[in-house]
Amino acid sequence: MELFTPDFGLVFWMFIAFIILFLILAKWGWPVILKSIDERADKIDKGVEYAKEAKAQLDSARADAQKYIEEAQAKQAEMLRDAAKMKSQIIEAAKQEAAQEAKKVMDAAKVSIEQSRKEAELQFRNEVSKFSLEIAEKMVRNQLQDDKAQEALVDKMLDEIEKN
Amino acid sequence: MKTRHFSILLLLLATLLMPSVAKASDDGKEGLDIKEVIFHHLGDGYGWEVPFSHVYRIPLPVIVRAEDGKWVCFSSSRLQKIETVTGHDGKEKVEAVPQIVNVVKGDKEYNFVLAHISKHANKVVQIFPISSESDKKEFEDALATVAASDAGKDAIVDGYVEFDGQYYKEYKPLDISITKNVFALLIASVVVTLLVLGLARYYARHTDKTPRKGMGFVELLVDFLYSDTIKAALGDKTKKFAPYLLTCFFFIFVMNILGLVVIFPGGANLTGNIAVTLVLAVIAFVMINIHGSKHYWKDIFWPDVPLWLKFPLPIMQFIEIFSMFTKPAALCVRLFANMMGGHMIVITLILIIFIFAAFGAVAAGGTVVVSLLFSLFMLALDILVSFIQAYVFTLLTTIFISMSTENPHEKHEEKVEHLTLDEDGGAAAGPKTA
Repeated sequence: MELFTPDFGLVFWMFIAFIILFLILAKWGWPVILKSIDERADKIDKGVEYAKEAKAQLDSARADAQKYIEEAQAKQAEMLRDAAKMKSQIIEAAKQEAAQEAKKVMDAAKVSIEQSRKEAELQFRNEVSKFSLEIAEKMVRNQLQDDKAQEALVDKMLDEIEKN
Repeated sequence: MKTRHFSILLLLLATLLMPSVAKASDDGKEGLDIKEVIFHHLGDGYGWEVPFSHVYRIPLPVIVRAEDGKWVCFSSSRLQKIETVTGHDGKEKVEAVPQIVNVVKGDKEYNFVLAHISKHANKVVQIFPISSESDKKEFEDALATVAASDAGKDAIVDGYVEFDGQYYKEYKPLDISITKNVFALLIASVVVTLLVLGLARYYARHTDKTPRKGMGFVELLVDFLYSDTIKAALGDKTKKFAPYLLTCFFFIFVMNILGLVVIFPGGANLTGNIAVTLVLAVIAFVMINIHGSKHYWKDIFWPDVPLWLKFPLPIMQFIEIFSMFTKPAALCVRLFANMMGGHMIVITLILIIFIFAAFGAVAAGGTVVVSLLFSLFMLALDILVSFIQAYVFTLLTTIFISMSTENPHEKHEEKVEHLTLDEDGGAAAGPKTA
């Protein structure tokens, strides 16, 4: 059976062909391909991991941001509240101060008014007394133009002195 | 779609007419030698038939070592001459007629012929004319021993070849001709080299890009074998064996597929030739055993069995050593038988047409349709088998290598490590078992 007896020539060439093919491919073919396949697989794995990580980071960042926003809002509200409070305080203080100042001014004005009033009173009294003296002098002069009247007056005055 | 179905049907119907034509032209010819046709298609040959012609052949170099140790090389076209002969029916036919090749080298003359009636049929043999008296007497004696049992003109006489009605003394030279199979082998090697180096060049030029189209398919195969089979079975020894295993797979796969192509670049029944699978198996044997671990060799020469099984009579050793050789032998025969079987079935299915042609045109017509459909189906199946056999060869080699190189102590430690890791890690992934 020709089919079942290996032919020497074919064995010889097959052996050479396989060895040469193997050497060529092992040197220039497979290492490059296998390295690329491995590297790509690694890269894909890493990529997936990276994406997962990135997603986790994004989620946490989002949560952080939410937290910060809430915090900021709370702070803002507090600050607003503080500001309002401060405002009213300042207004209150200003009011008080103004009132005090006003009071002071008023007091000063009162004092000066009182003084000027007193002065005016004094002056007025002096004037009045002067006028009254003048008036009295005039009246007296008028009345005392006759002797009788003069005597009556003296009498009257004397009476008065005696009574005292 | 409908028109396509219709045209296929029409084509099949047209085939019904073919045998009647064939019968008309083949009348008067002797019956078809089916066995010879099958073996001609499965076997090797000098020169490669030009598509659709049985006469013209693509010449290939014949390289032989003559009896005196000199290497002689000539073109295979010189083994045959093309002649126009007149057949029985008066029609002229072009036929290839074998002839003696005369090569003159220096002052010496060498005669070769493609043996037909000889022990070395279909091989190139060196011939010497029977001239001297002693030679003649020797030949008579040889002929007498044969003639007693198998008398006749075309008797095969050991050591002699009959050519053109005359016997010559023959010498079977050492033959490393580039035959059809060898040439197909070289074509397959070139195809594999181009595929693999092409892919390598693609990777060198495009980092981190997946190849598309044709190269994508090559990459798919490489990745399928490398990631799913070789890496899974060999683990950290992958780098050492992957180039061999991948070369092996692609070589077998390309040879299988080329064998299915009917015309020139293919058509050689390469992996269905025992010489090819034998070499593949021998290389596999070397690869399996050369890196065998201490444990592997201990299992062969001092296995863990009761003492009486291995001493004083080495029964187990005998079985183990026997199995060492049967593993690659099974690889060799499996690939050879599968591929040769596929080719044989297709040829036989086609030949059925010619067998049935003898029973008239109607019987033949029906057979044509059935045979063609069946052989088409078989060829489609053979494409699948081509892949499966290449894969099985590689897979089994991988498994044998992983078995011979494995070191059970290492593995045990690894497993323990994984277990402790699991306990520590709680709900971590399970241990990776090979």
